Amino acid sequence: MSPVVFLTALFISVPVAIVLIITSIWYIWESGNTVLYDSFVQKMFAGLENYGLLAVPLFMLTGELMNEGGMTKRLINMARVFVGGFRGGLAYINLLANMFMAAIIGSATAQIAVMSRAMVPAMEEEGYDRGFAAATTAAGGLLAPVIPPSMMFVIFGVLAQVPIGDMFIAGIIPGLLLSLAFVLVITLIGWSQQFPKGTWMPLRDAKHALIGALPALLIPVAIIGGILFGVTTPTESAAIASLIAFLVGWLVYKELKPNQLGEMFKRTAVNASMIIFMISAASVFGWVIIYEEVPQRLAGLITAITSDPFMFLLIVNATLLLAGMVIDGIAAIILITPILLPIATGNYDISPYQFGVVICLNLVLGLLTPPVGIGLYIASSMSETLPGAILRALWPFLLAVAAVLILLSYFPSLSTMLI
Amino acid sequence: MLYRVSAAWARVELWCASFLAVCVTLLVLLNVVTRTTGNALFWVDELAIYAMAWMTFLGASAALHHRSAVSVTLLPDAVSPGLKSALLKTVDIVIFVFSLSMVWFCWLWFLPLDIAHAGFDVSTFQSKTFNFIYAEPTSTLGVQKYVFWIVMWLFALGAALHSTMHLISGPETKA
Repeated sequence: MSPVVFLTALFISVPVAIVLIITSIWYIWESGNTVLYDSFVQKMFAGLENYGLLAVPLFMLTGELMNEGGMTKRLINMARVFVGGFRGGLAYINLLANMFMAAIIGSATAQIAVMSRAMVPAMEEEGYDRGFAAATTAAGGLLAPVIPPSMMFVIFGVLAQVPIGDMFIAGIIPGLLLSLAFVLVITLIGWSQQFPKGTWMPLRDAKHALIGALPALLIPVAIIGGILFGVTTPTESAAIASLIAFLVGWLVYKELKPNQLGEMFKRTAVNASMIIFMISAASVFGWVIIYEEVPQRLAGLITAITSDPFMFLLIVNATLLLAGMVIDGIAAIILITPILLPIATGNYDISPYQFGVVICLNLVLGLLTPPVGIGLYIASSMSETLPGAILRALWPFLLAVAAVLILLSYFPSLSTMLI
Repeated sequence: MLYRVSAAWARVELWCASFLAVCVTLLVLLNVVTRTTGNALFWVDELAIYAMAWMTFLGASAALHHRSAVSVTLLPDAVSPGLKSALLKTVDIVIFVFSLSMVWFCWLWFLPLDIAHAGFDVSTFQSKTFNFIYAEPTSTLGVQKYVFWIVMWLFALGAALHSTMHLISGPETKA
């Protein structure tokens, strides 16, 4: 009965965290093991006693601070210096700025919201199709969960019990690969559509733009440098990043006022508690997964089909693409990691880092696919473009992501080389 | 009336959760400073984690008032308005049952009557119930852990309040 309770509750729109909890309650009742109720609440609390989880609110705060702190437009200006003169310059600027942003913001939805507002009107003004402009921006948002820091990697790291810093490092090459794939897509589309010509910035303006963006670049340097050189933990680097974001926004760019902080901390608390509560719920749901031996049973099924790790990852990819279409990416990571990771590492000898990179990128694709592609709807409402128009221009980007997913599944070293 | 109580309580919860988010940030920053100056404070990590746990459960309860938690809305969005409101009412019932279970589990764990009967004497309580909740210490803070676990009561009762409100008021209640 538990699977029925789980699916029914999920599809009538009970909040995902509560679905996990009531399924666990039902399962314990059914199995007669009601002594577990005595420690049910304790288990929920204990699920949060993890140092790595502290990075979740801190990275969210950094995102909030830089959204309000005037960093976005400086980063876009800096991107203009490097790629603005090419034909289709703004499309490349969009992508490059998204890469910079991805190195600061850890969440795709936040990034898509900010960038759509900033980039789509500018691209349309220069003669780009609005659907294409919104699609480029939305696809650029997919870099956020792969290029460190990434909220999804933090959560995967906590669930998979792998160091979050190493998980971040594992994302560097896949992030660059994905960016490269997007560059190729834009170039190919540019050949067929004749994008507007770009103009190079005059040298003086370029110098000005670069200097303007330098303080903002302190943030990725602090985060990635701190972790790479082992100076700070990811949690600490997130706190440092939020402090830098605040000081730069307030004292250097002068666009942030201390009295805005209250509202930002409130949004941080609301959004972080939503995600962390799901992890708490997942810890009691872990009982169901363990007692029912879900991974073992599923492993029995899958190993009967294939013994090849690559085939296994392809099957996982296909399944998760479907799952990502209906379930929010982070909720899906929380649900799926405890079930599939033991199979990947135990039966197929796949590195947890490779597995994490593949499933995180895969599930974030769901943000851009209907029916519940939140990222698609955010891009649509922020840029006042119909979701259909964005989707029509988006499919080459989605194909590029699929190709990168296949590469990442086939070559484990792409994820594990730098660790 | 109940709506106003629920809304006011959700505001308090969110205010506290925001304050705790500030605490988490400051504590982790304090940790960075003290560690780099070679005077690491060993209790900061644990306190930061508890602050995050409190923020989470208070925020999660408030999210029930605002109906803002992550859910799969594919089916309710696809059906007729009549069926949709029936589905949402069912969701309200499920969340109400969930919140009552949380209160019950807190009761089973904290056993408030038993500890009162034992005259708040922890060792008598433990020998009677074999429940060691009031004896478990924190690792570094020098406080009993049940002090931090109390947030589970706040969560359970807050969830019960918000879900009762949604259950008895119409679906048109503004979030």
